[in-house]
Amino acid sequence: MTAAPATTASAATTPGGASPIVVRSWKAPIAFAIFTVIAILLFFIVGRPDLDGGNPTTIYRLSEARDAIQLPPLTLGLAETTIVVVILMVAATIGAFLLARAAVRVPLWLTTIFAVLFLVGFLTWAAAGATVPMIGLLAGALTVSTPLIFGSLGGVISERVGVVNIAIEGQLLGGAFMAAMLGTLTGSPYVGLLGAMVAGALVSFVLAAFAIKYFVDQVIVGVVLNVLVLGLTSFLYSTVMVPNAETFNSPEKFERIAIPLLSEIPVLGPILFRQTVIVYLMYLAIFLVWFGLFKTRWGLRLRSVGEHPTAADTVGINVRATRFWNVLLAGAIVGGGGAFFTLAAVGSFGKDMTNGAGFIALAAVIFGRWDPIRATLAALLFGFATNLQSTLSIVGSPVPSEFMLMLPYVVTIVAVAGFVGVSRPPAASGKPYMKA
Amino acid sequence: MITGANVKRNHPSAPAGPCFLEDTVTFTSRKTALSGLALIGASALVLAGCAAAPEEETPGAAPTDEAPDFYPCMVSDAGGFDDKSFNQAGFMGLEDAANDLGVEFNAVESADENAYGPNVSSLVDEGCDLIVTVGFLLAEATTEASTANPDINFAIIDEFVEGENVKPIQFNTVEAAFLAGYAAASYSKTGFVGTFGGIQIPPVTIFMDGFVQGVEYHNEVKGTNVQALGWDFDGQTGAFTGGFAPGTEALTTAQGLIDQNVDVLMPVGGPIYQSAAEAIRDSDREIALIGVDSDVYETDPSVADLLLTSVLKNIAVGVYDVTTGAAEGNFDNTPFVGTLENGGLGLAPFHDFESKVSAELAAELEEVTAGIVAGDIEVTSPASPGQ
Repeated sequence: MTAAPATTASAATTPGGASPIVVRSWKAPIAFAIFTVIAILLFFIVGRPDLDGGNPTTIYRLSEARDAIQLPPLTLGLAETTIVVVILMVAATIGAFLLARAAVRVPLWLTTIFAVLFLVGFLTWAAAGATVPMIGLLAGALTVSTPLIFGSLGGVISERVGVVNIAIEGQLLGGAFMAAMLGTLTGSPYVGLLGAMVAGALVSFVLAAFAIKYFVDQVIVGVVLNVLVLGLTSFLYSTVMVPNAETFNSPEKFERIAIPLLSEIPVLGPILFRQTVIVYLMYLAIFLVWFGLFKTRWGLRLRSVGEHPTAADTVGINVRATRFWNVLLAGAIVGGGGAFFTLAAVGSFGKDMTNGAGFIALAAVIFGRWDPIRATLAALLFGFATNLQSTLSIVGSPVPSEFMLMLPYVVTIVAVAGFVGVSRPPAASGKPYMKA
Repeated sequence: MITGANVKRNHPSAPAGPCFLEDTVTFTSRKTALSGLALIGASALVLAGCAAAPEEETPGAAPTDEAPDFYPCMVSDAGGFDDKSFNQAGFMGLEDAANDLGVEFNAVESADENAYGPNVSSLVDEGCDLIVTVGFLLAEATTEASTANPDINFAIIDEFVEGENVKPIQFNTVEAAFLAGYAAASYSKTGFVGTFGGIQIPPVTIFMDGFVQGVEYHNEVKGTNVQALGWDFDGQTGAFTGGFAPGTEALTTAQGLIDQNVDVLMPVGGPIYQSAAEAIRDSDREIALIGVDSDVYETDPSVADLLLTSVLKNIAVGVYDVTTGAAEGNFDNTPFVGTLENGGLGLAPFHDFESKVSAELAAELEEVTAGIVAGDIEVTSPASPGQ
């Protein structure tokens, strides 16, 4: 999570005079204090009365049977871990208050350390008396995050060029459907992936046509497209796929490819580098979108069209064409992410199987302040919180399951409200460009 | 036996079902260009919502003018009639009943939860005599429609709705799930078995209650120490995916259980077992799957090799009985409660696992069944009908 411009304690000069204004932001220290209080309440007041006596321990399993380098499991005692964590959290909170009083911005590393501390304490408390499979926890988080990351990359491109993309959900679902269909018909997952990208681009094509050519409200077009794709895929699923599942809905999945050496790295290796082609493409896509947007002529033009189309037009950039092609590109990326559902994760199409992932991706775009790297981190955070709740509910955490299901959303809201602050969309995002 | 859903779609000439645009989608717009797009979206909704609308008796059945004047109808939940689970089972029951009675029937699929109310009221307008609503999630829509239309009979599956004209079709599923838990504990070699659900609602948790108690009972009588993960019976909390879609959440939840070394998995909630099956195949370990609602071995051959058994809930029988009863004028509002005793519940055969389970298991299960029917073995759930 990053500190936002609004939380920056900076000295600015008023337009008229020379006297500097010192801005003190108390947001971060107050957030720290609240979490410290929550931690104290959970760890010491609530405790784990359900575990009888002694000092329960939490075992963190760091290796799986198939890993080359076996790490011994890490065992943390509940009492000592929570005491150490809370002391450090209190120290960090005091530090943050002192920094804020001195009008110094709370650095990102402090926020990160604080978040990790809270997480370690919370995990040790919630999973006391059980085993936490770290590899499974993190690998599952990546599985949930992958379609979100593709979705948010497409969202970032589309919004940066000035077209609000609410249709991410539809693009993912269309991609998942087409991947399953073509993957089964041709017997090649690569053709399926290509088909998914075409499907995503087609959804984008409708969005682009209505938004750019006919100046229809982009949000409404996006919403309608989601409904359209859901209806269409559900209909085709029921009428075509279900009666002939063998012919239309049993695609061959991508094999997991272990990258030599990298996949041997303890803990992270098996998570990041024992994956399918789609995930490796995702790593590439994150880099390319970031590099393209901020380091190339294409990205500069794209952003100028999204920020100030009139100015871009004046210097000879074709605003409408730029928007049209980039929205199509965004759709193709999201559609490719949809293929992850059917060609890497589940292995067959199911009605509404994206289950709202597109809307979470949309939130990640905003949370990530229209930046591909930050949006990726936001998607990973959501994926982690989702899988954390599932892991904890399996080992039998003391938190009720209804509340646990809220966790990913609570984390996202807290993160957006507490750490992101003001996020400014591209100035012309959502506004159709009409040449005067 | 349920062999697929294509039975209901081979009547291209049949009249379209009662789906109205204004029922399914409502929005206003001042922009003319939008209306075209809105129409596309709306027609997609109609396609989805009414895909199964033109249901009628199969060709060759008695023409309607000779048949009794009875028009049974059905509304699915968002799972649709091809969910290989309880919607499909309900549909089979209605179809069989209508065929045997020689009457027309109408079955409407709900595209999402927003369509429940409109779908029920469109069937009311259609002049249905009996409307069967499939699932707990339609309780609210059923309550509203049954109160507003006291002269139409309703039946709701899996939930109790009060009213002179509403017959609840319920199942004390905890009994059958108990048998599944017992079988799982008997089969398990690692000493861990797991279950997880779609959404925490009574028709789901009742399975998990029975499963956990069945495992405990096995430990008690056999002296084993098998642990059931994913559901805490006393605390009534456990692992849920938050929906019934076979997506990545169901996949990672199943993987989480597999990481805890379980070798039997019972996912409860429509098609989420498909994700669980994928997680099992990815794990390269020998893990058995337990199906719910129908004998999944028959309804979905693609996972047949993983299936230890299935918890059977004979929804089709319940719907059939209620429909034929209502046609003969014998409709009342006493709940139909399926149990092991009346054949409303059961455990599917082990099929491919016949050779992998212990030789005595079948006999033991019969004993346990007898014990449950006689009341000697106590099986409880806060979600049981009448609780």
